[in-house]
Amino acid sequence: MSGRGGVQYSRIAEIKGPLVVVDEVESAAFDELVEIQTSEGEKRLGKVLEVGNGKAIVQVFEGTTGLSVSGTSAKFVGKVMEMPVSEQVLGRVFDGLGRPKDGLPDPIADRFVDINGEPMNPEQREYPRDFIQTGVSVIDGMLTLVRGQKLPIFSGSGMSHNILAAQIARQASVVGSGEEFAVVFAAIGVQYSESEYFRRSLEESGALKRSVLFLNLADDPAIERIITPRVALTVAEYLAYDLGMHVLVILTDMTNYAEALREISAAREEVPGRKGYPGYLYTDLSTVYERAGRLRGRPGSVTQMPILSMPSDDITHPIPDLTGYITEGQIVLGRDLFRQGTYPPVNILMSLSRIMKDGIGEGRTRADHQEVSNQNYDAYSRAQEVRALAGIVGKAGLTGLDLQYMGFGDDFEGGFLSQAVDENRTIEETLALQWRAVSNLPKAELTKIKDKFVEQHYKERRAQG
Amino acid sequence: MGPNPQLEATIDKILAQSEADLLSGLRRAHAEAEEMLSGSRQAMEDEYDRILDDGKKEADKVSRQIIGGADLRARNRLLLLAQESIARVFDEAAARVRAADRSGPEYAALLEALVKESVEALGTDGVTVRAAGQDREAAGAALEKFPGAELSPDPVDCLGGVRAESKDGSMSYDNTIDSRIERMKPLIRKEIAAKFGMGGGGG
Amino acid sequence: MAARGRIVWVSGPAVKADGMADAKMYETVSVGESKLIGEVIRLTGDVAFIQVYESTSGLRPGEPVVGTGSPLSVFLGPGIIGQIYDGIQRPLRELSKKSGSFIGRGITTTPVDLSKKYRFVPSASEGDEVGPGSVIGSVKETDLIDHKIMLPPGHPGGRISGIVPEGDYDLEADLATVEGDGAPPPVKMYHKWPVRKPRPYRERYDPTVPLLTGQRVIDTFFPMAKGGTGSIPGAFGTGKTVTLHQIAKWADAQVVVYIGCGERGNEMTEVLTEFPHLKDPRTGKPLMDRTVLVANTSNMPVAAREASIYTGVTIAEYYRDMGMDVVLVADSTSRWAEALREMSGRLEEMPAEEGYPSYLASRLAEFYERAGRVRASGGPDRDGSVTLVGAVSPSGGDFTEPVTTHTMRFIKTFWALDAKLAYSRHYPSINWMNSYSGYLADVAKWWGANVSKEWLEMRGEAYGVLQREDTLKEIVRLLGPEALPDDQKLVLEAARMIKIGILQQNSFDEIDTYCSPERQVALLRLMVRFYRDGQQALKDGASLEDIRAMPVVGAMLKARMEVRDGEIQKLDEIASRMAAQFGELAGAKVRN
Repeated sequence: MSGRGGVQYSRIAEIKGPLVVVDEVESAAFDELVEIQTSEGEKRLGKVLEVGNGKAIVQVFEGTTGLSVSGTSAKFVGKVMEMPVSEQVLGRVFDGLGRPKDGLPDPIADRFVDINGEPMNPEQREYPRDFIQTGVSVIDGMLTLVRGQKLPIFSGSGMSHNILAAQIARQASVVGSGEEFAVVFAAIGVQYSESEYFRRSLEESGALKRSVLFLNLADDPAIERIITPRVALTVAEYLAYDLGMHVLVILTDMTNYAEALREISAAREEVPGRKGYPGYLYTDLSTVYERAGRLRGRPGSVTQMPILSMPSDDITHPIPDLTGYITEGQIVLGRDLFRQGTYPPVNILMSLSRIMKDGIGEGRTRADHQEVSNQNYDAYSRAQEVRALAGIVGKAGLTGLDLQYMGFGDDFEGGFLSQAVDENRTIEETLALQWRAVSNLPKAELTKIKDKFVEQHYKERRAQG
Repeated sequence: MGPNPQLEATIDKILAQSEADLLSGLRRAHAEAEEMLSGSRQAMEDEYDRILDDGKKEADKVSRQIIGGADLRARNRLLLLAQESIARVFDEAAARVRAADRSGPEYAALLEALVKESVEALGTDGVTVRAAGQDREAAGAALEKFPGAELSPDPVDCLGGVRAESKDGSMSYDNTIDSRIERMKPLIRKEIAAKFGMGGGGG
Repeated sequence: MAARGRIVWVSGPAVKADGMADAKMYETVSVGESKLIGEVIRLTGDVAFIQVYESTSGLRPGEPVVGTGSPLSVFLGPGIIGQIYDGIQRPLRELSKKSGSFIGRGITTTPVDLSKKYRFVPSASEGDEVGPGSVIGSVKETDLIDHKIMLPPGHPGGRISGIVPEGDYDLEADLATVEGDGAPPPVKMYHKWPVRKPRPYRERYDPTVPLLTGQRVIDTFFPMAKGGTGSIPGAFGTGKTVTLHQIAKWADAQVVVYIGCGERGNEMTEVLTEFPHLKDPRTGKPLMDRTVLVANTSNMPVAAREASIYTGVTIAEYYRDMGMDVVLVADSTSRWAEALREMSGRLEEMPAEEGYPSYLASRLAEFYERAGRVRASGGPDRDGSVTLVGAVSPSGGDFTEPVTTHTMRFIKTFWALDAKLAYSRHYPSINWMNSYSGYLADVAKWWGANVSKEWLEMRGEAYGVLQREDTLKEIVRLLGPEALPDDQKLVLEAARMIKIGILQQNSFDEIDTYCSPERQVALLRLMVRFYRDGQQALKDGASLEDIRAMPVVGAMLKARMEVRDGEIQKLDEIASRMAAQFGELAGAKVRN
């Protein structure tokens, strides 16, 4: 659609919320990029949401504050929004719309890429299989991350999700390959201190030169947040599929993204779905989350780790709910563990890595990995039941076996789950800790592990306490 | 005291026994001591390795940081230099355009083409056209082929070209040379940068 | 005369065009200069409301819209099996040759290779009277599929005036000519059929034969029947997709149509990478040789997602008409309903519950009504079936939301996935208290006649144990397990063994992933006997601790992973060890 734009229109029919309705528009395209100019000459960017019958509805990324019906004009640029990409974007800091924020000039573009991307042909995807060692036991052992996966962190306000994400970004490597990730970090409406923590963490590990940062902070325009993950993923796709890099994309916090979407939907007076979020929230989120994976015949990969805070820690809230239906699992942080001071406070029972099974096992991690992990899940779930029961009937009402399960639970949380922020464990260390935990139980309880593995790794531990 | 063979035998036995006990005790103590020694040597070695290892890790980290930081600073310096050079190229180009001779038929044809494009973009020739002060005459000539168009008395501050507006003021189209350069800038920058040996592909 | 109009309005996948007085409802149209594919879904005056199956980014008012004169149709002929299509039957492999790794726009290509030659073996001869649906011969589509060439359902029929001899022909070749009223067209290897119109059949039967899936909780407890309907609702993370994949892998059908409707891209890739390497347990051939995929992932255009369900079911009906048992798995009908909701919203229709259109229920009913076991039209007699299994993704895991509640009205088997079971890694997380099957009585006869006479009784007994455990669990939650008498504790123990030893099934374990009916019955018998003998032992004075401590218990719990289908006698050995150990308990009591 290039070459047809450039006309500036100055009949503004209406301004409501983040939307500007332009009247007497002769020619505009759906999704077209728009430059809004205020009466003071300030320029803002927007895009066409709806066009027809002489009207164009334009969503203004930087908000409509200060716009007036007279004196505002809209220039239809003749193309969709694009991000300039080249290897030079590495080590750079951009704002939420992809403009330099580090005092350096615009990157010299290798290409200009439509930020909306195109859907990957499912037939051309390569199924993710390479185990990523994050050095975090609970993830490597029970929620294994695989190259090309999209694995979100479901958190709540104030919890340690960004610390965990930063640790993963620092430590993640594919065992044996020695290849390091490029990190694309998109801050979506988060506080300066959080994004600064992340930046410093990358700097201290020397990873900043293979990172790209996109910052839309809490006091930046809300509607810009619709764009931030898209420019970040556009760059990530370029690094991965054009330059062959393995890219880890961290998007924090997707809840702010969904809220921006809700704001636009409300301004358009659309029929709302659950909790006022638009009915197309699922489809819209998928156009962000599905931009992860590997492609046949291309060396790179995009691994996504979106972070979202669950309003009131409610996992059935539409944002985590719809996210969970799209992503390949979820890492759920638990308020109780966080309060106890456990780090990382991962509630493993609610967490899951869907494609773990394909990244582990013989030749990748170890043959017994899946089964010992299943047993730990099973035992921890039983330990939690016993703990609840002990709260009612007291320890005296428990059987000897129940007490052993409690012992397991303590060892699991204290020895396996807990770990220091800078502690980088190998997969062997992680598996040894998993076996140590289940060795608190009598052999007969290991119903999920084949006998040959039990013989190899099980060393009975006497019940504690 | 006469000899008491039974008693002596017993004493001998006790002596032998206690000697054996003592010996085995000694042996055990020795073994334990050895074990402890070797154990602590192991622990010491482990600790030593660990300290070395940690030190090495720390050193690696610091060197990665320093090298990474330095790489980045050097690259950024280069970006700024490139940008300065590019800006100079644009300034130079603008100066040349400004100084160019505008009396010839080529410039008239250019202006006419720019007006035609503007009229097409706006979908009407009922337009008011503004041009740079020094272009007034040439612009007036270019408008002859567009009966609906009229030249505005207010000049625009630009290098050249025209800006067209519908008569009711609801639409406008900026076709000045400045805006065309602006539109082309990202592509031109890539070419200039490539001439400096730092294209978009290699950083 | 094809309609020719102009775009007047664009908003996402919805486009309005005027000058469309000649357009028909559900006619496909070409939209814009890049010739995107769209479908007319409402006509008001000369304005057509069009849903566009491709991204409309960059489309502008004034661009042309041209009608094609025909409704959205699928292409039916050999070459479908093993393919992966998008929601409007564009072959994704072919698309990638034209547009690379990402899906481009405005690309058209035929769903099957028209120039490919198949060996046609005629079964009809000159002079035969044929009607719509009549078989005139067959071709070998894959090692598993003997593809019948039929007169299209809309064909007027008549007398065969010419038919080609056995030989290799491509899809465009005229195989037979028919004389009859109105000069019927020659019969080719393929024909087209509109997706929104169910294919006709001669007669419909009640489903009585189980659709075996090799999944114990399904086959033994909540069975599906060939030609039946079922639904799997579940919150995310409950293992819905894994369960659906298991059904697609192991169901005893001749053809499986798997629709990924608004779901993850990698899931389709998983099927594509895995199925060619998996062998059908009954034929030993690769599963891909009987599978068709329809993939319209969540980030692909939403309107094509709406169409994908119809594309899939029409393909299923086509193979049914050849006399085959077809299973169609749709993951997920909720995303399809959301596509309906999105288009309805853009049409500014009056919304019903949660913004869904008021016709949601009738659309669901129409879809599930396309299941069934039928006698196909035309000769010779062929009986085939379409079994429909739809996943539902209720928001927040809430089964009272509209898609789940409406679906429940139209299906007979309900496999309710349970987040709590999934959190404790009890997979498949089908909740045995909330699930049901309306086919139990129908398929019991088959089990009795083909596998074991005691099947229904043992199943009832095992299910009874699970039901009693459910009530007792409440008491345990309040008072602890020690508050129960031994005979009730035995119920808990037996229920635990049924849960671990039968209901749980590890789909990633080479042995456990598929369980033959014979092995299912043997495992069931083992657990039921344990309960019966345990009760007796308690009466004889044994304690529950003694029963729990029997060494055979561990072997019983792991039997599903350790004993293969070919070695069922090993389960009998475990059964005799169990009997012996119960005997010892009784003996010990007598000696005391």
